Amino acid sequence: MRLEAADALDRVKGALGDRVTDASLNHGQVDLTVEPDRFVEVVTILRDDIALGCRFFTFLSAVDRSTYKFDGDEHREAGSAGSQNGKGGIEVLVHLYSPDMIWHVNLHVPLDFESPVCPSITGVFKGAEWHEREAAEMFGIHFTDHPNLTTLYLSEDFEGHPMLKSFKLPARSYVKAWPGAKDPDEAAAAGGR
Amino acid sequence: MTIKDPELQNLQDSSAFATEVSEGRLVTEQMLLNVGPQHPATHGVFRLLATIDGERIVRAEPIVGYMHRGYEKLVEQRDYRQITNLISRMDWLSGINNELPLALALEELMEIEVPPRAQYLRVALAEMNRILNHLMFFQSFSAELGAITPTFYAFREREDIQYAMETVTGGRMHFGFFRPGGLKEDVPRGFTAMALAAVRKVIKRLPDYEDLLTGNEIFKQRTIDIGVLDKEVAYSYGVSGPIGRGSSIDMDVRRDEPYLVYDEFDFDVCRGTHGDCFDRFWVLLHEVIESAKIVEQALAGLPPGPIMGKVPRVVEAPKGEVYIRTENPLGELGLYLVSDGGKRPYRIKIRTPSFSNVSALPHVLENTLVADMIAILGSFFFVLGDVDR
Repeated sequence: MRLEAADALDRVKGALGDRVTDASLNHGQVDLTVEPDRFVEVVTILRDDIALGCRFFTFLSAVDRSTYKFDGDEHREAGSAGSQNGKGGIEVLVHLYSPDMIWHVNLHVPLDFESPVCPSITGVFKGAEWHEREAAEMFGIHFTDHPNLTTLYLSEDFEGHPMLKSFKLPARSYVKAWPGAKDPDEAAAAGGR
Repeated sequence: MTIKDPELQNLQDSSAFATEVSEGRLVTEQMLLNVGPQHPATHGVFRLLATIDGERIVRAEPIVGYMHRGYEKLVEQRDYRQITNLISRMDWLSGINNELPLALALEELMEIEVPPRAQYLRVALAEMNRILNHLMFFQSFSAELGAITPTFYAFREREDIQYAMETVTGGRMHFGFFRPGGLKEDVPRGFTAMALAAVRKVIKRLPDYEDLLTGNEIFKQRTIDIGVLDKEVAYSYGVSGPIGRGSSIDMDVRRDEPYLVYDEFDFDVCRGTHGDCFDRFWVLLHEVIESAKIVEQALAGLPPGPIMGKVPRVVEAPKGEVYIRTENPLGELGLYLVSDGGKRPYRIKIRTPSFSNVSALPHVLENTLVADMIAILGSFFFVLGDVDR
């Protein structure tokens, strides 16, 4: 039986109470904001509460909002701690889905920008392991209690966290000059083949 | 325990071995087996580190990232119109399906209405691509199990559909045909007949393929009860698509939350019961017929009219966030789009099906035999470009 998004929001509010700091609807999906210390608890309730049934783990990732242009906000420099209203930092984003009642929930977990630490949900959803490893290397988030927090895609000696807005994607020329001649004349002048 | 081999008899006489055997416990040593990064069964560059104890896999650790291209970072530097073509390269077997979610996300945020003709054609092309994808895995899985004949059958059928898609898009793998708001251009004359003939051929011939493989005793021995993925485990790993439905998960985005015009068509969602290699393959094979049926219905009811909605000259998504998901041939492909009102996305999280599916592999491979490893890897139908992004 399908659960309408508005009803789902009511049920979520009833089941979670003050464990969430914000609950709203966004494009037909429930949006929740959760503090890191209640994160695991909230995820467990969403999965286990029979009236909610978010058993399907869709993804875990993160968003670096440090350069996001909020309304009436000046454009901020990359790497700043965020705007005054507490938004604009870094957040962990989790999407869960209830396959039986067909409704979606997006969990936003705002973290401290300077040293982002978030509890791991691998104890609730085993599939979070790889997702957390990816978020850790890409955003520099430390997931506590993660069984194996090593790099997933990047090499171990890679420096920096590529998905942060402060990490600029360099142009090719910036990295290394083109090693050969750029046109035939130049090649002939240099005596090359 | 008696040992008849004379050489082993000598060994038995030697001290340590003799004690082990006489006391009924044989201490074995674990060994690390490296598979890949280049292996014909992996459809890309994929490495598996398996700790084996005799014939049994104790622990398997997939090592991915050899094809990591960083799409999530690259898309932040690009114009929306460039992105559909870029992320079409994720799962190279289902190019046109990959183009769809971003177009849908922009249409949702920008409130663009897409004309029905474009919607119908999108469905038809996406389903034709699904058939291409599934037939490819039909042949590769069979080839990995040692049956080479299905390769020729599959490619014969694929070619007709491939040709029909080529006449429309000009491409054979990366089509670049879906645009935010509609399609690049209308289909050429004769396409409908060509595509219908191609899919009808698939519908007619597929029962033969089923008899060829799923009735084969060797095939059954190698797939039934091998690599069982439990339903609850599949949920917790986010396993979707044919692999999830093989584990009897009743989930299909096309039916549950119809996007485009899927609610107008009649099709079944195939499901397995045990979640073993056989079920996954069975679901894959049967989805081909369902897709072919959808193509038939979509092309038969193809309405006339424009193929592009009203899209502004500069594509700028208004501020907002949206999660859009579609049923990709290998599972749920989702985009979480964060827009701050610019010409470029602020952030796109790409949720690819193969990533979640492959992350469940260590669980499935645990306690299986080395001889079954390739069958299990093959039955997970993953594309490494889709895992690494």
